Amino acid sequence: MNLISGTDITADALSAQKTRLDIVAQNIANAQTTRTPSGGPYQRQIVSFETELLKQTGGSSLETVRVSGITPDPTPGQQVYNPQHPDAGPDGMVTMPNVNLAYEMVDLITASRAYEANLSFAKDARTLAQKTLEIGK
Amino acid sequence: MGAIMIESIFPSDGDYQLARKLLDAAALRQNAIAANIANAETPGYHRVDVSSSFAAQLKATVENGGGLKTADSLQPSISEDTQARAVRPDGNNVEIEHELLAMNRNAVEYEYLTDVVSYNIKQLKMAIAGTVSS
Amino acid sequence: MLPIGSINPGLTALPLSRPEALTGSPAAGTDGITSAPGSSNGFGTMLDGLVNLVDEKQAAEQVTTQKVLLGNTDQLHQSVIAMQEASVALSLMVQVRNKLVESYQELMRMSV
Repeated sequence: MNLISGTDITADALSAQKTRLDIVAQNIANAQTTRTPSGGPYQRQIVSFETELLKQTGGSSLETVRVSGITPDPTPGQQVYNPQHPDAGPDGMVTMPNVNLAYEMVDLITASRAYEANLSFAKDARTLAQKTLEIGK
Repeated sequence: MGAIMIESIFPSDGDYQLARKLLDAAALRQNAIAANIANAETPGYHRVDVSSSFAAQLKATVENGGGLKTADSLQPSISEDTQARAVRPDGNNVEIEHELLAMNRNAVEYEYLTDVVSYNIKQLKMAIAGTVSS
Repeated sequence: MLPIGSINPGLTALPLSRPEALTGSPAAGTDGITSAPGSSNGFGTMLDGLVNLVDEKQAAEQVTTQKVLLGNTDQLHQSVIAMQEASVALSLMVQVRNKLVESYQELMRMSV
């Protein structure tokens, strides 16, 4: 039974935003990782969202959101001169991961805000459902 | 015969039926706002809402004296909000603050409508049972 | 509907037949409950008055609520208060009716 309106859409959104937060955390944690199992420095991951048709209700349809993919960011990382570094090339340059902490922090804040907005919606929806149950009482 | 008699106890017009119809719209708007908030970051998404034609037609029907029975087939539906403002570079036009405000306002409307419906039902119960409940 | 006062005129002497005691102000008039002291149809008039009051309050509620529902006004509180007033009026009438019926039944039970 779909008793509380809107919450399946909200549930999808919450898990999508959570995935995004996880990826941001992963990016920040690996901002200095110059060696990965696949060779080369860590590549920043990007989460992309897309809408998914939930239901048709006459006019337009309601769309929910889901993660369409987690793709690596192809922009090359910064080259830093550091001949002491174990991963330095023959010219003494080390390729750092292409993670920009400023971008990641902005992403973090946006994702948190979206997550909280969805959460407060879920709370509201529950209150309304309880109020509905009290009609006539 | 008995069924017809009982049906006429419930007000066939007036604010009871009007509130019920508006509750349909409010519940649907709940879903629309959920979709908007969920897709606040999705590229190319345009915000949706309950079509304003529903409320306008309902209002016209009532103000022109036609009973709400004639508006029985009038149903709220969801459509793209043509009044939505600024579109971001990725094509998304959802503003989270706007959605949260809409959510709060819808909550108040929804609770008020349930109060109107409750009031009518409780009046009936009181008159029938002769017992006074708050 | 037979007003209770007509069954035994002696009843009108009882305090219950003085509805002013309920509303406290017969001069107000707007409440719909008016009754000259010592009138011979105390209960009947009182019930009539109450029915009028309920009618009045319900009609007023319909008007304000309709206005709010159609979006013609934003005075939400008027509608909410009107609903409560109508509810109280109906409660009052039902309670009075119940008490009257109770008293009548008790009187009938008295052995003469």
